[in-house]
Amino acid sequence: MVRLDIPGAVASITLDRPDRRNALTPEMLDAIPALVDRAARDARAIVLRGEGRVFCAGFDLSLCRDDPAGETMRSLLRGLSTAVRSLRGCRVPVVAAAHGAAIAGGCALLGGADFVITNDHARLGYPVLLLGVSPAVSAPFLRATVGDAACRERLLDSALISGREAERIGLAHHSTTDPEAVLPTAMELAESLTLKSAAALAATKAWLNEIDGTGGSYWPGMALGASLGLAGGEEERSMLPAAWTGGGKS
Amino acid sequence: MSEPLTNLTIDRAVARLTLNRPDARNALSIALLESLLARVDEIETAATPPTVLVLTGAGPAFCAGMDLRAVLGDPAAGSTLLGLLADLTLRMRGLPAALVAAVNGAAIGGGCGLACVCDFVLTHDDAKLGFPEVDLGVCPAVVAPWVVRRLGAGRARQVLLGGGVMTGREAAQIGLATMSVPTFADLEPTVAELAARLSKAGPLALRETKRLLNALDGSDDADIVRRGAGISASVLATPDAQSRLRERFAPRA
Repeated sequence: MVRLDIPGAVASITLDRPDRRNALTPEMLDAIPALVDRAARDARAIVLRGEGRVFCAGFDLSLCRDDPAGETMRSLLRGLSTAVRSLRGCRVPVVAAAHGAAIAGGCALLGGADFVITNDHARLGYPVLLLGVSPAVSAPFLRATVGDAACRERLLDSALISGREAERIGLAHHSTTDPEAVLPTAMELAESLTLKSAAALAATKAWLNEIDGTGGSYWPGMALGASLGLAGGEEERSMLPAAWTGGGKS
Repeated sequence: MSEPLTNLTIDRAVARLTLNRPDARNALSIALLESLLARVDEIETAATPPTVLVLTGAGPAFCAGMDLRAVLGDPAAGSTLLGLLADLTLRMRGLPAALVAAVNGAAIGGGCGLACVCDFVLTHDDAKLGFPEVDLGVCPAVVAPWVVRRLGAGRARQVLLGGGVMTGREAAQIGLATMSVPTFADLEPTVAELAARLSKAGPLALRETKRLLNALDGSDDADIVRRGAGISASVLATPDAQSRLRERFAPRA
């Protein structure tokens, strides 16, 4: 359900579960780091994309239904953290093509990207406090990208924002009017990055990761711990069913 | 007697420091950086230290970046050059004055880094600014801390990994420039107006405010800038960087 294609200098990692809006399972998330390793070895840039109408609707919370102990939620959170860190830590630049929607865990995946392309009417955000789930796992990456004020607003307010607004706050680097233009725009950017010095890009990316704290394990580890601490707890158990009884927003 | 590499004028509270190597588009050579550092000494020890420092370039360019041509094939000189840039940016940032970059033309690589050290960056729509280091096989680590502070880490990543250059207008849109005026002719009056306004600040109040701002955003951390210089120097010394630069500097047919 996650696919790697390396047709040339640009590798594509594709979330490939379009009938479920690419909702993330632990298996999908756990597959990402090995694909990133291969892509970083055999290609000079990575495009992270979703098959179908949207980039990613978040965790597949239907899997948490018969798991009162919260083991599945913990697997999802750990998998997400490791996937984001692998994208952030790899030596080649990562461009995310986030068309249509990047919600909750889907928006969190963007934290691993160096560049994010979206479209004006896409919906992005972290509406998980409503479900008793903490988006803390995303905080170090989002804060590095958009700064403290916008990070607080986006993690604490469950409202989704448009792609255009995401561009304004710096969560996306570019927003296209046509959703169909997101992937070609991302590919074009990735192709342009392959013409640059791979060694200089790798050194610059590693240094930026060190400066903004996203390359180490301290803050990402703390953040994951904060989210994990709630999994299987009383509040989450009482609020999470809204995910499959109410509109299924995850 | 040849022209000095920099000019410094101090008119009451406003100092004006000009990179004066127009034939090389004010590219930062070891000698030019040493001259700039000596000018910072002069500013610090002035009988009445200025509260505004305007940094600009003579001729059509602000600063074309590091003079890498001069250190090609000489890693020790490259390391010296980058170390001097690190020192200059730290010394400038620590001055108890409001720093204004009057970006009169191209501000490229290390030249754009110098602008990012300033509190205000004024430019015009036709100027070109940016960090094409990764296009040349070199690494902007030495100026990255200043770019991250000025733009935030997300935009800094876009600009430093994306390479290339942008117009003054685009620089203003992403916050690299405080503002971009329509043409070069509009720049000087705008700079003069800002400098006049800034120069009214109480010197002590300004000094304390800058001290706090520098502490808050980590500008006092000399180590990270020096380590950045070390990373830039080691990437510059690689065969990949040296061959890309040789190709770049080869005489064009």
